[in-house]
Amino acid sequence: MKNTTRSWAEPYKMKMVELLKMTTNAQRKKALKDAGYNTFLLKSEDVYIDLLTDSGTAAMSDRQWAGMMMGDEAYAGSRNYYHLEEVVKNVYGYKYLIPTHQGRGAENILSQIMIKKGDIIPGNMYFTTTRLHQELAGGKFEDIIIDEAHDPENEFPFKGNVDLNKLEKIIKKNGAKKIPYVSIATSVNMAGGQPISMQNLKELRKFTNKHHIKIIHDMTRVAENAYFIQQKENGYSNISVKNIVKEICSYTDGATMSAKKDALVNIGGFLTLNDWKLFEEARNLVVVYEGLHTYGGLAGRDMEAMAIGIGESVDDDHIRARVGQVIYLGEKMMAHHIPIVKPIGGHGIFVDAKKFLPHLSQDQYPAQALAAEIYLDSGVRTMERGIVSAGRKSNGENYNPKLELVRFTIPRRVYTQAHMDVIAESACRVFDKRSKITGLKMIYEPKYLRFFQARFEKLK
Amino acid sequence: MKNIIEPFKIKSVEPIYFNTLEQRKEILNTAHYNLFLIKAKDVLIDLLTDSGTSAMSSHQWAGIMQGDESYAGSSSFFRFEKTIQQITGFPIVMPTHQGRASEKILFSIIGGKGKYILSNTLFDTTRANIEFTGAEGVDFICEEGKNPSIIAPFKGNIHIENLKDFIHEKGAENIPLCIITVTNNSGGGQPVSMKNIQDTSVICKKHQIPLFIDACRFAENAYFIKTREPGYETKSINDIAQEMFSYADGCTMSAKKDAFANIGGFLAMKDPVLALSCRNLLVITEGFPTYGGLAGRDLEAIAIGLNEVMDENYLHYRIKSIEYLANKLIAAGVPIMQPAGGHAVYLNAKEFLSHIPITEYPGQALATALYIEGGIRSVEIGSLMFGKYNKANELIPAQMELVRLAIPRRVYTQSHIDYVAEIIIELYQKRHLVIGLEITEEASMLRHFTAKLKPIKN
Repeated sequence: MKNTTRSWAEPYKMKMVELLKMTTNAQRKKALKDAGYNTFLLKSEDVYIDLLTDSGTAAMSDRQWAGMMMGDEAYAGSRNYYHLEEVVKNVYGYKYLIPTHQGRGAENILSQIMIKKGDIIPGNMYFTTTRLHQELAGGKFEDIIIDEAHDPENEFPFKGNVDLNKLEKIIKKNGAKKIPYVSIATSVNMAGGQPISMQNLKELRKFTNKHHIKIIHDMTRVAENAYFIQQKENGYSNISVKNIVKEICSYTDGATMSAKKDALVNIGGFLTLNDWKLFEEARNLVVVYEGLHTYGGLAGRDMEAMAIGIGESVDDDHIRARVGQVIYLGEKMMAHHIPIVKPIGGHGIFVDAKKFLPHLSQDQYPAQALAAEIYLDSGVRTMERGIVSAGRKSNGENYNPKLELVRFTIPRRVYTQAHMDVIAESACRVFDKRSKITGLKMIYEPKYLRFFQARFEKLK
Repeated sequence: MKNIIEPFKIKSVEPIYFNTLEQRKEILNTAHYNLFLIKAKDVLIDLLTDSGTSAMSSHQWAGIMQGDESYAGSSSFFRFEKTIQQITGFPIVMPTHQGRASEKILFSIIGGKGKYILSNTLFDTTRANIEFTGAEGVDFICEEGKNPSIIAPFKGNIHIENLKDFIHEKGAENIPLCIITVTNNSGGGQPVSMKNIQDTSVICKKHQIPLFIDACRFAENAYFIKTREPGYETKSINDIAQEMFSYADGCTMSAKKDAFANIGGFLAMKDPVLALSCRNLLVITEGFPTYGGLAGRDLEAIAIGLNEVMDENYLHYRIKSIEYLANKLIAAGVPIMQPAGGHAVYLNAKEFLSHIPITEYPGQALATALYIEGGIRSVEIGSLMFGKYNKANELIPAQMELVRLAIPRRVYTQSHIDYVAEIIIELYQKRHLVIGLEITEEASMLRHFTAKLKPIKN
């Protein structure tokens, strides 16, 4: 915390609460077995603290709820659409907007209009749905993130950065024409919520301009990335998160957004582009998959909640409390020597399952096993982000990612510091008995995005 | 006719903004004579669609506040699933962000080049989704259904003989699916009889062709069965709905119609093998199987809405209020599709504007004239929506040239409807002044959403 010496507190108070249910160890044991040791398949009513994802799980503000009541549900030309369009232009600076029911809807349309068979899409680490849409459109993802990102121990502050040498090699080998765009995520999820620096982004822009390659921004956690730039990058400590966000966007040509993260809504996303011709193509396609381009498969009220949420998401006090809470939890775990990805990212704590369970090999699914064990201990639901999430290559081989992580994702504005304490205690308890944890065997594997629905059995 | 009393009262209102005839002319010009491109705030009475435009009940809003937004295993999903299982009898339920997403998933799996998908009449997005896969959609509407002025109880029925002949000609192996739309939207919101669903089911079973129901307006269809088909007078809507679904292997539904929701839909079926492939696609384009791209609160609103719509007092009011508008227009000699459908009144534009040739889109000309006259937004269901071009680039017209006045559920009062009737009757009296339109710009698929048009001045 560079700017201030006082501790953070939430810049809001509770206006409405949702009751939680406590479960017994026996109930959890049964629920886990029924769910095939996959936390995705647990019923939410069997979960105490839900850290499965920060996506769509935020608590909306009273202003957003008021916006929900102002929904204009007209099929065409809803006023909420025009409001959202204006906010996206003002806050992010992108020109043309297509709402979608969520982020993957935008990725689907983007991939279909920009990627041809045989194309290569370089990016700063893969993300499950993003890469799948690129592959289904006939493209191939190539990782150009810096090597530091694959090392959980490395404390480099901007592990989301692009290695320009890697990109240059891809261009030399395939030619710039084979690269429809470079896919850049802010707050790289699979690397542990690691930010990209403004300096790196500027250099990338200069480099891609030289080769006439577009940059498309996966901006779902852009505000959290902006906060890290403000805290850690030279020259930005006095600039507001709002202005940093706008500067980040200015170096890119368009973006896909899952508004379910930073923008504090339960549903919604968009595709935004600065190029009119591409926008027109996207607009023709959105009708087929999502809905007419002025609602994109969303209720009018959800566009309104999104417009208001975007404004709230770039507030300095909001982001400081948000990231502050994540860091609070991470530091508690570190104090107990639990191996986590460093530095602590913006939206969750990523526990290094390889180090946590060194007695398990990667094909025994250590992260999956650890997530199951934590649920069993306390009813805290986390998510595997390792070999199961990484899936298979087109030749059928497992991707075998370097990072084998369990993600403790913190929903925005939902849990209190006391909840964080309970989570940390549970992680510590499981850590203390880690040598007794056994691996898993996959007994059902779906074709796409297998982590969602795969089922496992305990290895004897 | 006695006044229709709504079985509800108003709890929350939304203001309507008035504008002048001159302003509307300007607005329409800027929107290139395409009503889809007009801002909602510039519309006085919005009859563009009954999809997603319902007023939810206070009970549904309470459900909205109780939404469980957990990404996986949300309790709202389990309530949603149970309700749909109860009504349809289909064990497997997948939520989607709206109806077209359910269709997209289903047709991506069973469609493909050289295949035929059979129906009474396919709706625009349904047809587009089928054709996108390379398959062909074929309509088999009964004879009465093709003639707007014939009065018959079930003009949405499938033409059973033609359906049989087609299956024999093309071979059942090339027909992966038959889908019945209830009520038949493109054909004037006309119902399908239980007997017709049953007969279709027998043929499909014999040839092992799965039968699906496009269930957007299942409750309205069930009400017509209750009031028009012998043997169903004393059955409950829920029983009739259950029987309708019992003849099918699955359904797609846009919950934005008969479930009173502003967003949402689902895909339900019996076949676990098909379901597995559907789920694989669901997670790619929609979302995890227990939320399917919807907020948890929307799952709640749909579950509650599905039960509310089966209330007979509501359905009585709904069908009677559509009839009310239809009868006013008939009394003034306005040519409309008869009898009135379940969710809309369809003006017969071919007759209404008999001086405008089909190539000049009389339906769109009528719809835009209604906007200028009274700020009413309707939709053309004719050659702009369904027309195609032959190799010589000449228009192959649609079967009918209709303008649909879709009535949103629980939104407008009788005075609003009286106003609508007045505007239409006034326009009818000076109909010779309306001129045709030509297209200046269009997309290759679903062109009616974004096409630009202009009046043909002689």
